[in-house]
Amino acid sequence: MFDSVTTRALTSALDGLAARQSAIADNLANVNTPNFHARRVQFEDALADSVRQGDGAVEAAASRSLEPTRLNGNNVNTDTETLSNADTVLRYQFAAQSLTGHFSNVRTALRSA
Amino acid sequence: MPMDAIGIAGTSLSTHRKWLDAVSDNLANVNTVTSTDDDAFQARYVTAVANADNQGVSAAGNEWGDPEGRVVHEPDHPLADEEGYVRYPDITLSDQMGSLIMAQRGYQMNTAVVDRAIDIYQAAIQIGAQQ
Repeated sequence: MFDSVTTRALTSALDGLAARQSAIADNLANVNTPNFHARRVQFEDALADSVRQGDGAVEAAASRSLEPTRLNGNNVNTDTETLSNADTVLRYQFAAQSLTGHFSNVRTALRSA
Repeated sequence: MPMDAIGIAGTSLSTHRKWLDAVSDNLANVNTVTSTDDDAFQARYVTAVANADNQGVSAAGNEWGDPEGRVVHEPDHPLADEEGYVRYPDITLSDQMGSLIMAQRGYQMNTAVVDRAIDIYQAAIQIGAQQ
């Protein structure tokens, strides 16, 4: 019951979103660092596939942005990073609440037994 | 141990602060005169390098402006040599003002990252709490 697909998938989502948050923090930390390339964290597609196969546990994958750079060799885009940061926080809050809701269901089931 | 988003933003706050300090010092000395026997005031430029393993940024060191500076004819200046010349630092005011704004905005953006990271921690703390 505690190791269900729901728990595994939501935990994977929380881990992936936390990794993305760290990547955004690193990108914005290096906004003025010459020759720095922004890092992207992906896990959604792999997570969807994994849930479809009844598992739900995935690791987030990271890659470097291939966007064109500015004159100092840096390609951090402050607009997209700031938006992605706000988006990541909301998704994290959503996944955290979903997990709490799932545990609440488990609690209800335990009480009624 | 790898740092979280708050720690990573913290490395950038201190790097941008060092940059701001260097720019302030350069601007404070933009009109500092030296005699032609000595070096001119040298502008300081902080070099930023990304940390290994995606752990933020560090100020790796300094690069220095030209010690030759600009030699200006000011025969009435107390530091003027026999031919009436003194040395001014080779600092471009507009470059320094541009750097000042970039350093300030970079600092502000990283304080926003800290705020967002706090939102995530608060959500994590609430996982499993009874509603």
